[in-house]
Amino acid sequence: MNYLVLKNTVCAHLMSGIFAMNLFCATPVSAIPPRPEAIEFQKLEFTPPRATDFRRMLSDGTVVFVAESHEFPLIKLSITFKGGDSLDPESTPGLASVMARMVREGGAGDMKPGMFDETLDFLATEVSVSAGNTFTTARMNSLSDNFDESLNLFVNMLRKPAFDKQRLEVAKARLLESLKQRNDNASSILAREWKAMLYGRTHFEASQPTASSVEAIRREQLQTIHQKIIHPGNMIVAVSGDFAIEEILEKLTKAFSGWEPGAVAASPETPKAVLVPGLYHVQKDIPQGKVVLGKRGIVRDDPDAIPLLLLNEILGAGGFTSRLMQKVRSNEGLAYSVRSILSQRVDYPGAFQATFESKNPTVALATKIVLGEIALIRDQPVSDAEIEVAKQGLIETFPRQFESKPATLQVFVNDEWTNRPKDYWRTFREKVSSVTKEDLLRVAQKHLDPSQMAILVVGNWEAIAPGDLEGRATMKDFFGGDVKHLPLRDPLTLDPLPLD
Amino acid sequence: MCWRVLFRLVVVSTLIGCMHTAAAQKVAVEEFTLPNGMQFLLVPRSDQPNVVSAGWVARVGSVNERPGITGISHFFEHMMFKGTNTIGTRNPDKDRTFRVEQKKVRDQMNQLVLNEQYERFRNGEIDDPWDPVNDTPRLKSLRTKLDTLIRAQQGRGKAGPATATIVKDEFDQVYTKAGGSGMNAFTSYDLTCYFITVPSNKLELWAWMESDRLNDSVFREFYSERNVVHEERRLRTDSTPTGRFQEQFNSMFWASCGYSWPVIGWPSDLNSYTFEQAQVYWNTYYRPGNLFGVVVGDFDPKQVKKYIKQYFSRLDPGKNKLPPVVTLEVEQMAEQRMKALGDFPPTIEVRYHTVPAGHRDSYPLDMLAEVLNERTGRLYTSMVEGRGIAATASAGSDTRKYAGLFSFDAMTRGDATPEQLEQAWYEELVKLQTEKLPERELRKVKNRVAASNYRRLENNMSLLIQLAFSEALLDWEEINDGPAKYESVTAEDIQRVAKKYFDETNRSVAIYRRDTEQVAEKGAGK
Repeated sequence: MNYLVLKNTVCAHLMSGIFAMNLFCATPVSAIPPRPEAIEFQKLEFTPPRATDFRRMLSDGTVVFVAESHEFPLIKLSITFKGGDSLDPESTPGLASVMARMVREGGAGDMKPGMFDETLDFLATEVSVSAGNTFTTARMNSLSDNFDESLNLFVNMLRKPAFDKQRLEVAKARLLESLKQRNDNASSILAREWKAMLYGRTHFEASQPTASSVEAIRREQLQTIHQKIIHPGNMIVAVSGDFAIEEILEKLTKAFSGWEPGAVAASPETPKAVLVPGLYHVQKDIPQGKVVLGKRGIVRDDPDAIPLLLLNEILGAGGFTSRLMQKVRSNEGLAYSVRSILSQRVDYPGAFQATFESKNPTVALATKIVLGEIALIRDQPVSDAEIEVAKQGLIETFPRQFESKPATLQVFVNDEWTNRPKDYWRTFREKVSSVTKEDLLRVAQKHLDPSQMAILVVGNWEAIAPGDLEGRATMKDFFGGDVKHLPLRDPLTLDPLPLD
Repeated sequence: MCWRVLFRLVVVSTLIGCMHTAAAQKVAVEEFTLPNGMQFLLVPRSDQPNVVSAGWVARVGSVNERPGITGISHFFEHMMFKGTNTIGTRNPDKDRTFRVEQKKVRDQMNQLVLNEQYERFRNGEIDDPWDPVNDTPRLKSLRTKLDTLIRAQQGRGKAGPATATIVKDEFDQVYTKAGGSGMNAFTSYDLTCYFITVPSNKLELWAWMESDRLNDSVFREFYSERNVVHEERRLRTDSTPTGRFQEQFNSMFWASCGYSWPVIGWPSDLNSYTFEQAQVYWNTYYRPGNLFGVVVGDFDPKQVKKYIKQYFSRLDPGKNKLPPVVTLEVEQMAEQRMKALGDFPPTIEVRYHTVPAGHRDSYPLDMLAEVLNERTGRLYTSMVEGRGIAATASAGSDTRKYAGLFSFDAMTRGDATPEQLEQAWYEELVKLQTEKLPERELRKVKNRVAASNYRRLENNMSLLIQLAFSEALLDWEEINDGPAKYESVTAEDIQRVAKKYFDETNRSVAIYRRDTEQVAEKGAGK
C-alpha cells in the first residue's frame, strides 16, 4: 500500500530511454554563469514547526509528541526520562548506565532474557536503552505490523525489568574488559583527564567506574535507581511513523495504564571544581601528540550564546572555512583534524575548547598557531566576509534541525525538558542576523581569555618539548614551559601510576 | 508462546512476500546518461522537505593503483577540494605560474631523493630517505625554495598577503554560505565518492560547483597537502593501538591482488607522486564515462535534469582507455598466522578468502554472518553468554568488486585466551557445516534483514551511499533486487558455503595480546 513507494513510480528502464531522447535532442544548452554568485535562486520559505502542533497529553498526564509519516512501514517510539549518570551515587559512577543496559538485557517480568531477545529479534524490532549524563532514553523501532506486540514487550521491559542475575554478571564482566582498555588509546586518556580538569574528578561529568565499583554493583542498586528514573512522572514520549494519531495515542494510554508515576528526578549538580590554567601533560609513546586547550564556557541560555556560536564558527567550528582549519591544516599541514568546540550545558557552564593532533615535533607550533588565532580574534574585529558567511551558514542550514519527523520531535522533547524559551526557534534566524562584528569582539574578549585556559597534551614529551626543526616554536613558549606532568592512571583502580 | 511465534511468522513472511513480488514497492530510481557518458541516478522523495543530498562517484579506488602510486586515489580526493581556475584563486594566471615553479623544484627534489637519498638509505647511512632531517645541503636548499614558493602563493611569505593568488578553501566557503552541510568525500578500495546536503533551491549551485571541479581542477597545493595526508595517516594508523598491525595483517592476507595495500597508501609513495602521474590518473579515471551522479531528496526531477544537462555536458569524455584490473588473488596454499603484542586487549581475527560482490555465494555468506551476529546470534549466545570466554564476538562478510573475505573477530573475557576463542570458533563452524540451520532461526534472520532493508533507506544520505556502492560494485538495481536474493537463500545454501570456504589452508589468523611487560614496567615506575 504505502510502503517503499515513492509517488508516481514508473519503471526506471523505460524512463531512461525516454529521457535520453527528450532531453538531448530538443532544447539547446543554456550558458553557464561565470561564477556561482551569478546564479539566481528561488526563495525557499521555511517556517519552523511549532511544538504545540505536535504536543498531546495522555489521560495520565504523560506528554507525547506525535507525527505521522507513511513512507515506510515503520514506527519509531522514544521515551526520554530525566536523569542519567547525574543521579549516580558517588560510590558507584556509571550506575545509571549499567541500569539502562540491564533494563534492555535482563529480561522483562516473567519473561526470561533469552526469550525476550528472541521474541523481539523474530519481530525484527530494535530496542535500546541508554543513559547519558542527564537523560536516559529508551527507543523502539518496529515494523508497523508488529507494533502492538512490540509495544507490549517494550513497556513491560521498562516497567518490570527482571535484572536477571546471570545477565548482570555478564554485563559486569564485559564492562571490566572495557575498563582494561582505558589507556590503550591516547584520545581516551585525553578526554578523561580533560574532563577531570574541567569539572573535577568526582563530578559525574568526569567520574569513572573502577573495577571494584563495578564488582560491587548489586541488583538492588539497579532497582533503586530504576525507580528514580523510569516511570511516567519522569518521562516525555515521542512517536512517529506509519500510524493514525488517535489510534496510536489510545495504544500508548493502554500500555501505560496502571504504571505508577513517581516524582520528577533531581536536576544535575553543579560542578565545584575550578580549572587551573597551565600546561599539562600525560605520557604516551606515540608518533603524534594529542592536544586540547580551553576553559569553562557559558550556560546554554546565556545572552551571549548566539554571538559566541557565530564567533566559534569563524574561529574553529566552521569546517574548512574556519580560521583554525585554514591556518593549522590547510596552510601549514600540521594536523588532519583541528576544531574548536562550544559544549552547551543547561544547568551549569560547559566548556570552550580547541582540539587537534600533530606529529611530535610540530605539536608546539600547532599550539602556538591556535593560541595566536584565539588572541587575534579577541584583538581585531572579524572581516565582513567572515561574519556574512557564518551568519548565512547558520541561517541556511537552520531547517536541517527539523529535517525528519523523529529529529523534529526530539527537538521538542529536549526543549520541554530543559525549558527552552518558547520563541527560541521562531526568532533564531533574526537573532543570528542581528549580531554585529562588535558583538563578536565583545564576547571574544569576555569569554575566550587565553590566560584562563589550560593546555593538555597526551604524547611523548621528550619528542614534543623541543619543538620543530626550524625553531618556530617549543613547548617553552607556553606558561614558560612550566609543565605539570600528570600521572597515567591504573586502568582498573584509577590510582595514579608513578611518573617515569 | 509457540503459537504466538507461529502466528507472527505468517504475518512477517507475508510482508516479505509483498516486498519482492510487487514491483511498486521498490526504490524508484530515474536513471539517465549524458552523451558524454556520465550517468545519473535520481530519487525524488518528499518525506524530508526542503533538502537534497547530492553526490557523485568515480569508479576508482585503491584497487586501481600499483606499487609506487599507492594512496593516489585518496590523495586525489583531497585535491578535489582545492579549486579550479575560477574557485580558489584571485589570479589564475599568476597562480599557475606558482604551480609550474613549484613543480620544477619538487621534480628536482624527487630526483635527488630517489637517487641519492635512496642510495644512502640502501647503504645504511640514513634511516629514511624522505625525512627532511636527512636532507643533503642541496636538497635542503630546494626544500626551502619550495616552501618559499608555497608561502608566497598562500600570501604568507616575506612580501605578505599581496603575493597571494590562493583564496583559501573557497570551495567550502561557497557551499557554507549557501547552506550546504555535511560536505565530504571518502575513498575506498573500489570507489571514490563526493557528497553534500544542500537546501532544495541550491541544486543549480551543486551542479555548478561539481561540474566546475570535474572540468577544471588544477591540483592546487599539490605538494603541501601531502603533509595533511601524512598527519591523517599518523592519526588513523600510526597512533592507534592496532592500526599498523591491522595494516600488516591486511597485506599478509591479500597476496597478489590490489587490496593488499592500504587505501591511504604507503608513506614512501605518498611523498613521491608527480604531477604527470596525477594527470594521467585524472585523464583516465575522472572522465564522465567512469563517473555517475546520485541525487536523493526533495526536488523536481525535470528541473534537476535541466541543470545536469546544462552543467555536466561540458565534461570532456577524454581519450584514455580504462585499464582493466587484471591481477587476480592467487589461491592461498597454507594457513598464515600473525602474533601481535601491544596496547590492546587479547583479541583474535580469523579471515578467509571468499567471493566478490554479486557472486551467487555472496548472499548465503552474508546470511551466514547474520546467523552468527547480534544478541541472539550464535557467537553471542555461545561465546559471550554461554561459555563466558568472550567480551565481544562478531562475524563479517566483506565482498568487494574483485574479491571478498569473511572474518571472525572476538575479544577475550577474564582469563580466557585468544586460542580458546579460536577453538570455539572452529567448533561453531563444524556445527554450521554438519547441521542444517533450523527453519525458525533462518526465518528470524531473514525478518531482520528484510526490516533493515527499510531502515537503511529512510535517510537521504544513507540511501545515496547505498546507491553509490550498489552501482559502483554491481548495478544500482541491486538495491531493489537484493532483498529477494536474500529471501531465497536456503538452509542448504548456508551449509554449502560453510563447507566450501572455511578450510584451514584458506585462513589467516591474527592473535593480539597485551604487552604486559610494558605495563608492568610502568606500574613499577621504571
